[in-house]
Amino acid sequence: MNIKVNDLTVTFKNKVTAINHANLEIPNGIFGLLGENGAGKTTLMRVLTTVLSPTSGTVSMDGILYCEGNYPIIQHRIGYLPQEIDLYPGLTVQECLEYMGDLAGVPKDECRKRIQYYLEETSLTEHRNKKMKQLSGGMKRRVGLVQALMNEPKFLIVDEPTTGLDPEERIRIRNLLVDFSENRTVLFSTHVVEDLAAVCNQLAVMKKGKFLYAGSMKELVRKAKGHVWICQVRDEVQAREVEKKYHISSKQLSEDGVQIRLISEKMPNIDCVPVEPTLEDAYIYISGQST
Amino acid sequence: MMSIERKISLPAYKLVYAFCFVVILSMIRGISLSCEIGVAMEAPMAVLAMVFCADTYTQEIISKRSEIHRLYPLKRRLRSIVLRMVVQEIVLFLFSAAGYGMFFLFQNPQSLYKAGQSSESELHMFLTFLAAMVVTLWFWGMLSNILSCLSRNMWAGIGCCFVLWLVTNSSFGEKILGSWNLFSYTFRNITDSGDIRWLCGKVLCLILCILMALLMPKLIKKRG
Repeated sequence: MNIKVNDLTVTFKNKVTAINHANLEIPNGIFGLLGENGAGKTTLMRVLTTVLSPTSGTVSMDGILYCEGNYPIIQHRIGYLPQEIDLYPGLTVQECLEYMGDLAGVPKDECRKRIQYYLEETSLTEHRNKKMKQLSGGMKRRVGLVQALMNEPKFLIVDEPTTGLDPEERIRIRNLLVDFSENRTVLFSTHVVEDLAAVCNQLAVMKKGKFLYAGSMKELVRKAKGHVWICQVRDEVQAREVEKKYHISSKQLSEDGVQIRLISEKMPNIDCVPVEPTLEDAYIYISGQST
Repeated sequence: MMSIERKISLPAYKLVYAFCFVVILSMIRGISLSCEIGVAMEAPMAVLAMVFCADTYTQEIISKRSEIHRLYPLKRRLRSIVLRMVVQEIVLFLFSAAGYGMFFLFQNPQSLYKAGQSSESELHMFLTFLAAMVVTLWFWGMLSNILSCLSRNMWAGIGCCFVLWLVTNSSFGEKILGSWNLFSYTFRNITDSGDIRWLCGKVLCLILCILMALLMPKLIKKRG
């Protein structure tokens, strides 16, 4: 499964341009979509799920162009977990999934088999008779993920699936996505860098409706090499001075003062040492380059 | 899937408020004759139908499930909406029938038939009422659902319906539309059971229901 986005622009009625002449190619496997809030990630996903039509530009899936006539074929291949979704609170997990499977056109027997399989995979079997409103946030996300997989989609789109979850649930969701990504294309959107670092090899970074970077994670990290530094300052006052001059990746209070991890194009003119960049550093470096 | 649609479209709070509405209506809307019950019930039940059915589909929009629904085949989405409408209309119809009985229970109206002043029996009146209510409930329920889908907001849908309700359920509406009024059953001559001109209004409601049903697929495709 290969998704191609070509010169895509989405402008809303209020003249806000959410995506601005963007180009992207999404290959098989888990593809990360990283960007701050309001970068245009959700808008891109809404275009990819055919909810939104682009103002200009084209999108294609395995050569099939996104257009009104092709929507049924495209929609049949997509599984989608939106950022915020409230699945039928009055239904049990089993009923909810059976209902959504039926709507997706999955035959009854096949639907039951898949539900059983995915509930086991997501450790939800014991909760199958619980009502949706009785589930925790993480469980609801897992049920959301199962509904997205009910029609065995070739292209799975998940929009910030780990937001608001505790670390254990986040890890569980991430692992599920890895398991499900075999022979599928999974588009994993988030603003949590750590989540992508754990599951993706390929990613794109979005900012203000444009792609700042698209490619391998290694390459992104390599780009930031030589631009990440650690320095130690005496106190908070000095730390604030540094913050004014440079992009700060992290700040840690220690017995000796404040340790700052900063991003700079050139070597900062303060006492510091270069360090190996992380994906988070690379993301801040790339984001900073566009400003 | 019918039982699941019932659970989705008929949560307990809806049943409770609809039941309370009918009970209160039958207690406070004063009547003295049994032939006035239909007149007392039609317009208020239309309001109940428009509120009751407004979230038939918009609940999918509010809960953001509509973004997933868009990926489903249109036929199945429409089938789901139709099933929801059917369950809701059945409940409204049963409440209407029960409400008719409650008027007898709470107000003990006089019967013109028993007094020998009318040829229309109580059973005939009741069956006519039920037939008129089927059309009225379907029309206002469908209209509310359609307008809510169009505006993607159930309150806007209810608001628009209510404006039409106010216009048609008024002496102005009665004067302008005559027997073609959407509430022609309410405005009919209750002392003359032989006068069936009020059926025109109900036929109009049915035609509009068919038109709305034809419009629904396009609306769900574009605005769903």
